[in-house]
Amino acid sequence: MADAPVQPQRPLSRRGLERLDLLLLSAEALDLNGGEAMVWLSEEMGLTDLFPNRVELWKRRCSNPLRRTTRRDRITEAEADGLIRILNALADRLYPMLRSLLSSAEPPQLSEQRWALFRGRLQELLKERFNPRRSGVQRLLDPQEGPQLCRELIQTMALSAGPVGFTRLKASLMDAAV
Amino acid sequence: MKLTSRYEQTSCRLVLEGLPDLSAGQSSQTIGILTGFSLALAGKTELEGQRDHLQALLNVVLPYARGLISGVARPQGAEDVPVAIRPVDGQHELELRSSQPNTPPLRLPLDDAELSDLVRCLDRLQLDPQVAVPLQWPAPQPLRRSELRHRLPLARRVAAPLTGIAALLVAGVLASLLPTPKPPASAPAAVSTPSRGG
Repeated sequence: MADAPVQPQRPLSRRGLERLDLLLLSAEALDLNGGEAMVWLSEEMGLTDLFPNRVELWKRRCSNPLRRTTRRDRITEAEADGLIRILNALADRLYPMLRSLLSSAEPPQLSEQRWALFRGRLQELLKERFNPRRSGVQRLLDPQEGPQLCRELIQTMALSAGPVGFTRLKASLMDAAV
Repeated sequence: MKLTSRYEQTSCRLVLEGLPDLSAGQSSQTIGILTGFSLALAGKTELEGQRDHLQALLNVVLPYARGLISGVARPQGAEDVPVAIRPVDGQHELELRSSQPNTPPLRLPLDDAELSDLVRCLDRLQLDPQVAVPLQWPAPQPLRRSELRHRLPLARRVAAPLTGIAALLVAGVLASLLPTPKPPASAPAAVSTPSRGG
């Protein structure tokens, strides 16, 4: 077994934070109890020092600049790592659902119904919690561009599910700004 | 005593066979020497290979998956390695090249779900404490701006510089229309000739 690869030590960029929170929101759109699952996964993974309760967990997610009520204080690297680990664990639990969305072997009509359900829930959550004036949010709500962006979110979760997905997803969240 | 390790995920089954490397002080339940592996992808041929083939497989599949997370499907695998993967028609094509001369490569199409099943099997192998085969796991790295650039459509990439150049041109034209300040008129001689006293 190889040692854990070394990650560059620096906090997530603004874009990285936006993506991380959007992925967590996608997990909530897939699982109606996703918000609760995040809290108990955080406890189960021993992250209570970072996120002692659901309010603190929610506050850390609110450092996403796309939120309606965004917090100015920057998230620390340990807190970002904690959120990424929670997302990896959620994706691991939701993997059968992610897989059925991505599979081309599913009946097309059923697949389309599943995508419509996911996109509908994600849009509801976006309208409720995110700032609709931001172009990043508008693109997700856009009927032309939205479906492809939703597919990218699901694919990202599927390819970073489980503990090994942590380094892969973290590296991607630290990509250079384009 | 032959040991076996299996990793299964819906469409993918990876089975490792090997022996414990007792000389390296490993337990008798740990695979330290790989004698072979087999990889079955749903509805496709079952592949078999040695450690080098497994290494070549993870050398291309994991960086490819890493790129996809950033929305960049970059082909992986040079001409001289046994495994390559590339995007084809919205799917992924895994190419296995035989070491036998005059044997055409085997090309396996994978959809997004089959690719993530394969990645999950490789991830489980990486985590498995019962496998101590010396394998190099590629370390995921953040992508540079140049690697991400082609992800954006051309129109959006050139929009900002073009707007800048256009704004500069407009400002230049407007500035050239402004009247240039006239040079100050020559001041009348302020010095009066001294009167001569008599």
